[in-house]
Amino acid sequence: MQYAVLKKEYLNEFITRLAQDQKVIAPVAKGYNQFAFEEVKSGEKVALDHIPTILPPKKYFMPQYETLATYHANSSQKMNPVVECEDLILFGVHTCDLAGIQCLNMVFSERPKDINYLIRKSKITIIGYGCNDYCDEYASCRLVHSHTPNGGYDLFFINLGDKFFVHINTLAGDEITEKTNLFEPATPADLNALAKIREKKREIFANEVPVVHERMPEMFSKSYDSNVWEDLGKRCLACGNCTNVCPTCYCFDVTDEPNLDLQTGKRFRRWDSCQNEAFAKVAGGESFRKERSARQRHRYFRKFKYPMEKFSRLFCTGCGRCSRTCMAKINLKETLNQLVEEQGMKNLKAGRETE
Amino acid sequence: MSKPKVAFFDFACCEGCQLQVANMGESLLDVLGAIDVVEFREVMSEKWDQDFDVAIVEGSITTPHAIEKIKKIRERCKVLIAYGSCATIGGVNGMKNNFPLDKIREEVYGKDYKYFETVETRAVPQVVKVDYLVHGCPVYIPEFVNVLKAVLAGLPYQVPDHAVCVECKLNENVCVYEKGVTCLGPVTKAGCNSWCINNGNICYGCRGMVTNPNENGAKDVIEKYNVPMNLVRNKMNMYNQCREIDQSEQKKR
Repeated sequence: MQYAVLKKEYLNEFITRLAQDQKVIAPVAKGYNQFAFEEVKSGEKVALDHIPTILPPKKYFMPQYETLATYHANSSQKMNPVVECEDLILFGVHTCDLAGIQCLNMVFSERPKDINYLIRKSKITIIGYGCNDYCDEYASCRLVHSHTPNGGYDLFFINLGDKFFVHINTLAGDEITEKTNLFEPATPADLNALAKIREKKREIFANEVPVVHERMPEMFSKSYDSNVWEDLGKRCLACGNCTNVCPTCYCFDVTDEPNLDLQTGKRFRRWDSCQNEAFAKVAGGESFRKERSARQRHRYFRKFKYPMEKFSRLFCTGCGRCSRTCMAKINLKETLNQLVEEQGMKNLKAGRETE
Repeated sequence: MSKPKVAFFDFACCEGCQLQVANMGESLLDVLGAIDVVEFREVMSEKWDQDFDVAIVEGSITTPHAIEKIKKIRERCKVLIAYGSCATIGGVNGMKNNFPLDKIREEVYGKDYKYFETVETRAVPQVVKVDYLVHGCPVYIPEFVNVLKAVLAGLPYQVPDHAVCVECKLNENVCVYEKGVTCLGPVTKAGCNSWCINNGNICYGCRGMVTNPNENGAKDVIEKYNVPMNLVRNKMNMYNQCREIDQSEQKKR
């Protein structure tokens, strides 16, 4: 069966059964309207209709700190590669985060392939979850077409009120439905209910910024010397929050760390950020992006221009995390609106004609 | 190769960083396997009157006598590590510099204060050349060990020059500003793995400010979160007052 339903009262049991043989990760409330992906043993703590978690699920694909290799001075340049990973099921991944994982997959599959990432990815099963409404005013998922699912999951849940409509997308997803044995086949009435939800979503989700999605790289090309970046530079504290919470930021730094014997040690990588002072600093103390304005511009260009040229895809998923977390209240939608005005690219029909 | 001789010294401080080292737990055995401690007042009675390789210095310089003493230590060692906020940035002792020296002396020593010489508080690098810094009040032991490893290997140690927020986000803490509390994380140097925030506290700025803070931007943030300016000034004053000595010296140049 490709489509199934799961009654809501079975959700707790579903998670409990899944967690018997495997680690299950789901969004959990942390208070103050903040959420995080964490290990769960049952469905009780799972927060499905949450605003995007503090960190996106990328932390399971490329952990904040990750050992890549160990070494011994006796064996000269030879290092022993290390991949620390385990089987995981990610439950409740919103469509914006599914898009983020798809972006990372493209980046890390490029040659030279990132083996650590790819091995870890092969061990992760993803259960997506559709949002029937906006999480809050920071989201711009309609602008980048990530408000609806575009693959990248094994199972996908849609809230139909008293039950979840479930799309079974892969063999791994199928195995889960069989193993947990709680699903029923979807009936024509369920498909009708789904159609209604989709129709309602079309009304709710409207293009958040009045610009044609495809014209954004062009808009950015013309905006390289815009005053918008100066303004952001004056406000930005360079705390790096925006990039650390971004589902598609993947920059990292690699360091060798000796043990106290100075003979053995490990090589590890940790997340880095183009907003950090030392990121673009080179020998001699020069920095390619000394000004915070240049760093913020770089961040935006890395979402809306460069990846379009390299991967034919925007690397913004519209999740709104960067705006939500910014100490200086730098707001992605605001910046985009300013650029749209400045470049005369306002198009109120944008994003409606393709529906 | 014989183990490097290491001596611990202290100036104006609470000796809490020494306590951190003494209280390191199991990794202390590994540390002692790699170095030869020849003097460490808090944990041993022996004194050392010859040269040594590494001096590990806690505390700020607050008297003419201390200036002489730190200069002699500098002459006797090959490598000098300043550790703890008092030593690296002046720390809480810097608050002394908010008052006229005579007033401070009178407050502390009463009517005979003239017998007790004093100078404005300085961090150790503001008096002698320092090779390695381990910031923090107290020092974060994993960073202390990392610096020690760098010293032993003859490598430089780079104190991260980005905000505590970076490490705090990697630890996925709920931002304390969301809880309506003011935190100095956005302008304070990382390297502590956001130790305080991980444990439900806020950042007090004990590691000193990042080298290129956006002071005007920080003012905007403070305004937006409706934080009284003098509250922030007091918070900054707590650890970072000695920064003014560097700033005024820069102006002179």
